[in-house]
Amino acid sequence: MNPAPTAAAIAAHRFGLGEARLDAMAADPRGWLLAQIGPADPQRGQDLADAATGLRAIVRYRQLRQQQPPAQPQPQPQPQAQRPPAAGAMPAAAPAAEQPFAEHFRAIVQADLRARLLTAATTERPFAERLALFWANHFTVSMAKASARGLVGAFEREAIRPHIAGRFETLLAAAVKHPAMLRYLDNDQSAGPQSRVVLRLQRLQRLQAPRLSGLNENLAREVLELHTLGVSGGGAAYGGWGGYTQADVTEFARVLTGWRVPLRDFAGDAPPAAVSATVFDPAWHQPGAKSVLNRRYAEGPQALDELLRDLAQHPSTARFIATKLARHFIADEPPAAVVERLAQAYRRSGGDLPAVYAALLQSPEAWLPAPRKLKTPEEFVVGSARLLGLGEAAFRRAGDGGVTQLGQRLQAAPSPAGWPDRADEWLGPDALWKRIEWATRLAERLGPQVDARALAPQSLGPLLGEATRQQIERAADGPQAFALLLLSPEFQRR
Amino acid sequence: MMNATRRRALTTIVGGTLAPWARLSLAGSAGDTRPQRFVFLILRGGMDGLMAAPAPGDPAWAAARGTLAAAADAALPLAGGPFALHPLLAQAHGLYGSGELLVVHATGLPYRERSHFDAQQVLESGGSRPHELTSGWLGRALQASGRRGVALSTAVPLALRGATAVDTWAPSQLPEPAADLVARLASLYEADAELAPALARARGLHEEAAMRERLATPGAAGGGRIALTLARQAAEFLRAPGGLTVAVLELGGWDSHTNQAAPQGATANSLRTLDGMLAALREGLLQGDGSAWAHTVVLVATEFGRAVAANGNGGTDHGSGGAALLLGGAVRGGRVLADWPGLAAKDRYEGRDLRITTDLRAVLRPVLADHLQVARAALDREVLPGSAALPRLQDVLRAPA
Repeated sequence: MNPAPTAAAIAAHRFGLGEARLDAMAADPRGWLLAQIGPADPQRGQDLADAATGLRAIVRYRQLRQQQPPAQPQPQPQPQAQRPPAAGAMPAAAPAAEQPFAEHFRAIVQADLRARLLTAATTERPFAERLALFWANHFTVSMAKASARGLVGAFEREAIRPHIAGRFETLLAAAVKHPAMLRYLDNDQSAGPQSRVVLRLQRLQRLQAPRLSGLNENLAREVLELHTLGVSGGGAAYGGWGGYTQADVTEFARVLTGWRVPLRDFAGDAPPAAVSATVFDPAWHQPGAKSVLNRRYAEGPQALDELLRDLAQHPSTARFIATKLARHFIADEPPAAVVERLAQAYRRSGGDLPAVYAALLQSPEAWLPAPRKLKTPEEFVVGSARLLGLGEAAFRRAGDGGVTQLGQRLQAAPSPAGWPDRADEWLGPDALWKRIEWATRLAERLGPQVDARALAPQSLGPLLGEATRQQIERAADGPQAFALLLLSPEFQRR
Repeated sequence: MMNATRRRALTTIVGGTLAPWARLSLAGSAGDTRPQRFVFLILRGGMDGLMAAPAPGDPAWAAARGTLAAAADAALPLAGGPFALHPLLAQAHGLYGSGELLVVHATGLPYRERSHFDAQQVLESGGSRPHELTSGWLGRALQASGRRGVALSTAVPLALRGATAVDTWAPSQLPEPAADLVARLASLYEADAELAPALARARGLHEEAAMRERLATPGAAGGGRIALTLARQAAEFLRAPGGLTVAVLELGGWDSHTNQAAPQGATANSLRTLDGMLAALREGLLQGDGSAWAHTVVLVATEFGRAVAANGNGGTDHGSGGAALLLGGAVRGGRVLADWPGLAAKDRYEGRDLRITTDLRAVLRPVLADHLQVARAALDREVLPGSAALPRLQDVLRAPA
């Protein structure tokens, strides 16, 4: 077996999103990947909403609901698939009034989904795309929470994609300060206990508990736990993460007060271009200096940038980011030596992400032929589309390509921790069955036109095992051969 | 020369009302009032002709079949010869008794290389070697005789390509993954410590559910339920007065490399489903005045037969000659049409396969010429080119009443 084509197939499948042919990376697989390191491609799609558009939609939604207070509690409109109103279940007026707005909201979400999938299915820089998807998941913003609805696509385009190949602290600051994140993790609602806005409310509402009285720690905790240091006590196999206390969380939350989304400024259809979607509102900021991880931060907006910079340089962050990258690209439980190598690259470069990616691509463990990672549903669907060169056609029938049915509602991860990156979390019995059903359906539709016998070696190269090759060869018919290719361990894994 | 096939998506729901008729009619086309009906049921995967229609009366049977010989012990005998039918083809056996089923044995295609893909290409295209022709023999026959056909599947099978008037009909519901595919995956996942147990669990759950359904619906299992729906729907299309006179159905699950005599295995399920589909076609076409069935020919054929001897896993590997079935009110049945070559090793093709002594195209020719009324010249030149010199089989069809 020639080592060069094996590396080409690994580059295409493990570090990319799958290819029908291995010509482009055959000559220099590592070089092909290194050359892709840079900001992610602009997403492919029309009328993609920026944060301001998403915020205007949110304002309109609120206005509408205030004008027409529901007579009885109503279900929240579903962002993706709106349930048809059950006949006779509610007065005709309510759904009719909500309809135009729900339509508008849905248009944003569908365009976001489509752009995400179509870009992944067609990009010529699939490694950069994989990194963009990795970081979007690392800094999850999910429309599973209503406050983030209409903003997730904008978040990926504005906070993540431009910053995947710079310093981690830049990416971190862009993600944390994006209006989608501030709303998703409730920083919008967090006020300093001694801030002007809280003191004023206390004066006005002396007789009753004010509805806004102080801190919301949500964002502070998740930045520490999920975005930077990692959970305290975690990562023992990799030198340990974390190292923060509850006091650090609270103090960090105080630093974060004032970072808000000025929803009021987005009430009109065309706000002045100067309006910023994220502002620092001193009235909400906790006065005085704060101490986080034994460092002192003076009152004011600059404290957040300083703190994020310090978090980015923390050795726990280096280990945590190194572990997550190694886990994503190499194995669910990556070898400690690889993690240490990536962490070292991170520390030496001060968190320069291209240096970390280069260390990953230099690791021999990353190029072992046996694939150890299971594709996520999104990677499976995108990989299938790329295998067939389907482009837009892949998402014509179902805007999400069927990814939701496979158990991954994109841009709607169940928690701020994002989608899991371990096979056992994706391998519930029904999940595998769903993949089989999905592949059967695709194979029935397109299998007669696909020669899986030719496609399998052409795409997988030397990664195609003898057992799979034989099964495809001996399949009962074309569609079955194609389904076997899609469902083979070689294609399910990467 | 041929127009592109016109496909029209017709959606309906399994279990819902089966009356999408209005949506099927071709605008501006007068109903075809010719009485003949034709159904082509393609068995994909290579049905073992000696499993479906064993020859326990052949002197070499026991020695030739090895571990699979005893599987014929319970077979239903076909009077007057060495042949029998698998016990799961009991309804078909009844048709044999009433003279409506003709078993064609030791039949096959002018292709011997044992690849599913290539053999199915030949079976459907009607060529004499793979990829010689790119349209289907039935599609060309429709074109030559001005008939309309329907494929009970999402895509038009190759057999029907080449005709302008082809509809497709498929239930919009997701089909259950074929048991055969799942079995192949199980062997593919054997060495994978995560995928293998996940599949085993999934299989267990779904087989439990399928078992419950099977108990509720006698004779149909898993994908079989959908196959029966498709057969019923095909009969309804052909019986209704709208001009559809030809239908194509498909049934997979025949690639029996392992344990093919297992009572609940893939082959048993496929045989059971096949029997149910044939009965459903007959029942559907008998409705009304019964005249549709009287003018019907159903052809059941597969891409190849299988090796005569059992392999090391109680299954059979790809072979050559096998069995085909012709049934319907227009068929001169109650007989086995075979120039039986015998099963002894010296009589087999390359020492392993049932030798092909009847070219399947020789069976197709009278069906196409006399039943579907394809002009002889078109038959020789376009529909089945290269078949004109094949022996003429005179007694496949009943004389028109």
